[in-house]
Amino acid sequence: MNSVEGLVTQIQGLSSSASDVLSLHNVLKQADDSLHAESTRLLPFLDQLDPSKHSLGYLYFLEACTAGPVTTESASSFVLIIARFITSCAADQIRLAPDKFISVCKRLKDQVLFLEEPLRAVAPMLSAIRKLQSSTENLTTLHPEFLLLCLLAKCYKTGLSILEEDIFEVDQPRDLYLYCYYGGMICIGKKCFRKALELLHNVVTAPMSTINAIAVEAYKKYILVSLIHHGQFSTSLPKYASTVAQRNLKSFCQPYIELANSYTSGKITDLETYVHENMEKFGSDNNLGLVKQVVSSIYKRNIQRLTQTYLTLSLQDIASTVQLNSPKEAEMHVLQMIQDGEIYATINQKDGMVRFLEDPEQYKTCEMIERIDSSIQRLMTLSKKLTVLDELMSSDPMYLGKVGRERQRFDFDDFDSVPQRFNI
Amino acid sequence: MASSSSSGLTFKLHPLVIVNISDHYTRVKSQMNPPPLTSTSATVNGVEHQQQAPRVYGCVIGVQRGRTVEIFNSFELLYDPSTHSLDRPFLEKKQELYKKVFPHFYILGWYSTGSDAQESDMHIHKALMDINESPLYVLLNPTINPAQKDLPVTIYESELHVIDGIPQLIFVCSSYTIETVEAERISVDHVAHLKPSDGGSAATQLAAHLTGIHSAIKMLNSRIRVLHHYLVGMQKGDIPCENSLLRQVSSLLRRLPAIESEKFQDDFLMEYNDTLLITYLAMFTNCSSTMNELVDKFNTAYDRHSRRGGRTAFI
Repeated sequence: MNSVEGLVTQIQGLSSSASDVLSLHNVLKQADDSLHAESTRLLPFLDQLDPSKHSLGYLYFLEACTAGPVTTESASSFVLIIARFITSCAADQIRLAPDKFISVCKRLKDQVLFLEEPLRAVAPMLSAIRKLQSSTENLTTLHPEFLLLCLLAKCYKTGLSILEEDIFEVDQPRDLYLYCYYGGMICIGKKCFRKALELLHNVVTAPMSTINAIAVEAYKKYILVSLIHHGQFSTSLPKYASTVAQRNLKSFCQPYIELANSYTSGKITDLETYVHENMEKFGSDNNLGLVKQVVSSIYKRNIQRLTQTYLTLSLQDIASTVQLNSPKEAEMHVLQMIQDGEIYATINQKDGMVRFLEDPEQYKTCEMIERIDSSIQRLMTLSKKLTVLDELMSSDPMYLGKVGRERQRFDFDDFDSVPQRFNI
Repeated sequence: MASSSSSGLTFKLHPLVIVNISDHYTRVKSQMNPPPLTSTSATVNGVEHQQQAPRVYGCVIGVQRGRTVEIFNSFELLYDPSTHSLDRPFLEKKQELYKKVFPHFYILGWYSTGSDAQESDMHIHKALMDINESPLYVLLNPTINPAQKDLPVTIYESELHVIDGIPQLIFVCSSYTIETVEAERISVDHVAHLKPSDGGSAATQLAAHLTGIHSAIKMLNSRIRVLHHYLVGMQKGDIPCENSLLRQVSSLLRRLPAIESEKFQDDFLMEYNDTLLITYLAMFTNCSSTMNELVDKFNTAYDRHSRRGGRTAFI
């Protein structure tokens, strides 16, 4: 009792300046175990602390409070308390104890999932990310949690706003895999297939020493999204993918690769029979919706192929070539594609002829200039970062060791003996 | 021949004349079959063949105002070896034609190519004296001497000197200056930049071109900055207000934009976009190559099952 009260007064006293906060941090670290021991009685003490001023102390108390199992009554009250804390806490104080903050946020996620109201935690989690990040290029452990909440709550737009930022630093590799995987799913939900492909590609080609389940699931979705977006899929992974991935991923995703093969053959009936046969497999992976989108995209692909051969075509001919049932359906498909900007065409209603046009972009507008200019700026910052990374890599002892070992002992232009191993 | 003229005339030579003479000479030389050797004669099959560089001839025309002689243009003439003089009827016909177009231009003299004036040239010179009592002789030396800095063009006048008691006409050098009109400046610039002296490749030409533009823009920028600074000072009140200067600045500013039509906007934006796209492409290539190297290094360092055997380049 005394220790807790004493702790409270200390927190209230020592939360004003930065040096005080540091000493308070040490005190709290030592008192952590005693706090955890008295976790059930800590709730009333929380009212004595102000979350915006005494953020660090509040955090420790809160973490100890919520350490216990989740029950319905405790869940609803805790959700409110944690949400309020996150929105009002001071960022610099909580950055001193990031893992405690992360565990508190995870508890929030567990509680809202228990209550089946994921929407309640979306906004607090977003502000938590902003407070924990050292910069917008930093990926924290909270990012994938946030994206998971967005997925479950079906508010994809907030998720997309986080995905717009470029990530350059990652704390934990598992964060990256989960982040990109969930991010890919959100983009699929919003039908931005290009960005989804990019994110899933990141998971599949990320450095990994052993194969993990996230990469396998991501690879399955990657195949499907690649079919929807590009109309083709190549099984070879780029050389920056880890060798583990290059060797093993394909064996886990065999049905999907066969689906891709029958897609590229272009015969719709074959594709549909194949899908029908393997329905349970796709269903067990929760990919049935995507597979259905793949099947509908094959019509689009075939119509696009027509634009390369014909200048004008009647709707009847389109329907028969693409194996649609009626010209009406063909017209609907073509209209939808024109609206989405996938082809450029005009439909003449009188005689049912479709004329395929060229891309009307003339590259003469000021908006195009701004687009290219901003891309160039982005490339420049990226290029600078890459050169820094390259230099870091060249001086990395692991790299030097491996390269030195393979080098010939005597080079023909210098006769200094090259050490076989770099002793560092 | 002789040292320097004492006539006191100032000569102004236009680059068009030099280009014309050079063009004439190059054309005749390249049309000759077989092509002449450089300077010495060769012995082929025991018979000596004198293959010298051909000499070309022509007339120079221009204006003489008081003591200034300005040579504007030139035209070609054929040398008649039988009479050892230039083709006279042709010259007169040409003179009439030019008179119609340029009524002010007179025949001032003639030109030829070679390393030095020769005795036979005096003959031609005297023949022209009935058109112009003191004609000029412009001599262009076509041999390329990379060490030489000035133009290989000399202008000779004729003077009556007493040598060995006999009054003789001899050639004396005169100094001249180059005078250009705007149109000539553009073409000379063009010619000068087409063939770099060291035979540089397209890349160095592009770099030289861009450096030129860069320095021009830099100078423009610094001058505008000076004006801006001055105007700011005037606005603040540090410098007394001068209305005439303000008027000049305002008229300068009103000169741009020079063209305002929509067609110009379209073309301008299209070209601007093209340049931006090329820059983007260049940056892309640069970035991709850095990324490629980085990935290679990463794979060598950290991939446990990387390829063994075969030497990788030591970077």
